[in-house]
Amino acid sequence: MRHLQAALLALGLVIQGGMALAHHGWAWTTGGNIELTGVITAVNLGNPHGILKVDVEGEEWTVEVGQPWRNERAGLKDGDLAQGVEIRAIGEPSADAADRRLKVEKLYLGDREYILYGDRD
Amino acid sequence: MATANTSSTAIATEALDAVFTALEGADIAQALRRSRWGYAAVNGVHILGIALLIGAIVPLNLRSLGLWRGVPRPLLARILVPMAAAGLFLAIAAGLLLFSVRAGDYAGLALFQVKLALIAIGTVAALGYHLRHGWPDGDADALVLRCHAVLSLASWLGALVCGRLLGFVGD
Repeated sequence: MRHLQAALLALGLVIQGGMALAHHGWAWTTGGNIELTGVITAVNLGNPHGILKVDVEGEEWTVEVGQPWRNERAGLKDGDLAQGVEIRAIGEPSADAADRRLKVEKLYLGDREYILYGDRD
Repeated sequence: MATANTSSTAIATEALDAVFTALEGADIAQALRRSRWGYAAVNGVHILGIALLIGAIVPLNLRSLGLWRGVPRPLLARILVPMAAAGLFLAIAAGLLLFSVRAGDYAGLALFQVKLALIAIGTVAALGYHLRHGWPDGDADALVLRCHAVLSLASWLGALVCGRLLGFVGD
């Protein structure tokens, strides 16, 4: 029993340890939307999720967009999400505020709207 | 001595990073990163492999722990051991492809490292058992068999849990 407790504790610590990848689902978010505006500083698109780094008034945010098919369906073309582009993103932030991570529901480049998850909100 | 250790660790880290970068740059990794159905298909093969492995090894290990005493174990082993091995092979082959898409990111995750360690333990334990005691069933005595079954269950189920959590866990 003690060993089991130790193992569970170890697993818990491991899970707490720094996670860099994007997430499936929405269980880790707050459930409410926020809006961010900033400049894209790094782009890593592709399966299983696209990840942007965005400079929001000096703070670096990790912004999770869709897989290639979802981004394409929203109308995004290759090169739209690029370094130096200004982005306005609306979506759910991580429940852990220190994480500064946003899962995008829709985003704006200039005036054009791109809806990744149209069935939410 | 400390400096020597630090620098050799740094060299090893650099070499690994170079391997991960090369993997991510491979044609197949690039194609998978962009493809919708290709990526989904490889995901499917990974899950098929896991399903075969777990679906075969769990009942065999439970038999070793004393369930279904009326069923001769050699009979079960003849079917389940090769199925588990085939499942492991498929899961590793597809898993390598999935890994190549984001090699550096996955490699840096503690949860992923634990998963790999559990897979290594399960694989080494299985190879050790069959090399020593025979294939597909073997002649190990009851105590060895039970210990092996517990280790096998813990490592494969643990690897499954870690793998599934990878997609869902945040900081």
